[in-house]
Amino acid sequence: MDYLVVAVVAGLAAVERKGFLQAMLSRPVALAPIVGLALGDLRGGLLLGPPLELLWLGAVNMGASLPPNEALGTAAIAAAAVLSGQALGTGVTPAVAALAILLAGMLATLGRTTDRAIEEWNVRLAARAELLLDRGSPAAAVRENLYGMVLPFAVSALLAPAVAAVAVQIIPAVLREFPTLNSPLGWGWTALVGLAAAAGARAFRSARGIGLFAGAAAATFAAGWLVGGSR
Amino acid sequence: MSVPPVTLRRVFWRCLFLQAAWNRRGMQNLGFAYAIDPALRRLYADPGKRSEALRRHLATFNCHPYTAAAIVGGAIHHEERVAAGEEPAGAPLAYKQVLQGPLAAVGDGFFWAGLRPFFGVLAAVGTLLLGWPALVASLLVYNALHFWLRWTFFRAGYRTGDEVVVRFAALSLPSWASRLRDGGAVLCGVAAGVMALAAVGRLGPGAGALVLLAAAAGIVALGLRARLLPTAYAALGLGTVVGVMAQVFRGGK
Repeated sequence: MDYLVVAVVAGLAAVERKGFLQAMLSRPVALAPIVGLALGDLRGGLLLGPPLELLWLGAVNMGASLPPNEALGTAAIAAAAVLSGQALGTGVTPAVAALAILLAGMLATLGRTTDRAIEEWNVRLAARAELLLDRGSPAAAVRENLYGMVLPFAVSALLAPAVAAVAVQIIPAVLREFPTLNSPLGWGWTALVGLAAAAGARAFRSARGIGLFAGAAAATFAAGWLVGGSR
Repeated sequence: MSVPPVTLRRVFWRCLFLQAAWNRRGMQNLGFAYAIDPALRRLYADPGKRSEALRRHLATFNCHPYTAAAIVGGAIHHEERVAAGEEPAGAPLAYKQVLQGPLAAVGDGFFWAGLRPFFGVLAAVGTLLLGWPALVASLLVYNALHFWLRWTFFRAGYRTGDEVVVRFAALSLPSWASRLRDGGAVLCGVAAGVMALAAVGRLGPGAGALVLLAAAAGIVALGLRARLLPTAYAALGLGTVVGVMAQVFRGGK
């Protein structure tokens, strides 16, 4: 049942990402908590959302260029992490999150390939629309547009739960077999979130962005440190 | 003859499906034809003329999905004149061809490189500091703003036709985009600082330093055009190695 839920959420996210609406619901910062909520662990989804959003902030579909499919990657990562956390009884920990990204993150890159294939497939829909128009069925011709959402839904609904299912077999087994890995992987997660913030800053391509980023990071850390130290 | 408001609202709703069948040959052509079809049905009672109008909107079209609303509105503006015999049948197509490139550039620069990533980071920082209410609030504000702009573009295109360019210029979207990019970079820095503080709380001061070090190394590596996912895996691996060393060091003590 959990994987069916993942399939539906991932499929809807794939449609929202490009075919309909584009209201940020398929962005990692929203999608990871949605997956978490759907699987009964909102807190786990909220742990994953911000770093994944920062990491894939530059994943934007401009013109005919195709970015990694961050929605597909996020759905698989969040599902893998939440379900592994539930299997371990710990919830989503930094170690679980790190392994989920390691195992399911590549799906975002594969998603770019499937997106390309879908765009090629959609050429047939456009050709069919022209044919239907020639046959005097304008209503049927324009309806072909809606069929373009079927394939993205199906691809994501298949791939996200499949990859999550594989990861769920591996992550709990690794952490049960090697419990001492929990702390080092937590450090790995720590380095990853730092990199994610940098990737976010780079995505803005602002001339003054790097200076602003560094200044804000230092100021926030110093202020937090001072406030924390004074307590 | 003009298109009634209820039909215009229907066309606007259909604009949300503009990219449903994005394809390598005609790009958003099918989506455009789908969106404008209710208006064409109103304007052309003769099925042959409707099909002819629909056929010209199946020509290749590509624009930013938000700013394209202005072109859909403007195309209806021109179709009304074509139906009334005031303009040649090619006028709507010429309008689309002239505007799609500039409005795509404006939309990509403002929405995709400015507003949306800004709200993405805002939502991320809000979630880190305040949890899900901040996330929901960020999404609500983004969507209120972006839907209002989409509707405003559509209405301006319909009412003013070619003059929609002047309306876009008045909004000064490129200069807003520049401010949003600077603000977004600041918010990324805030996120790095917050995550470093959280790491200090979880693993000690060394982990906080690791977050900031990874951020600095990431800025350099990505500036040298390193690929994102391999760099992320490298950060994960190196951080884990540091964690093993920290464990060994603590065990040795």
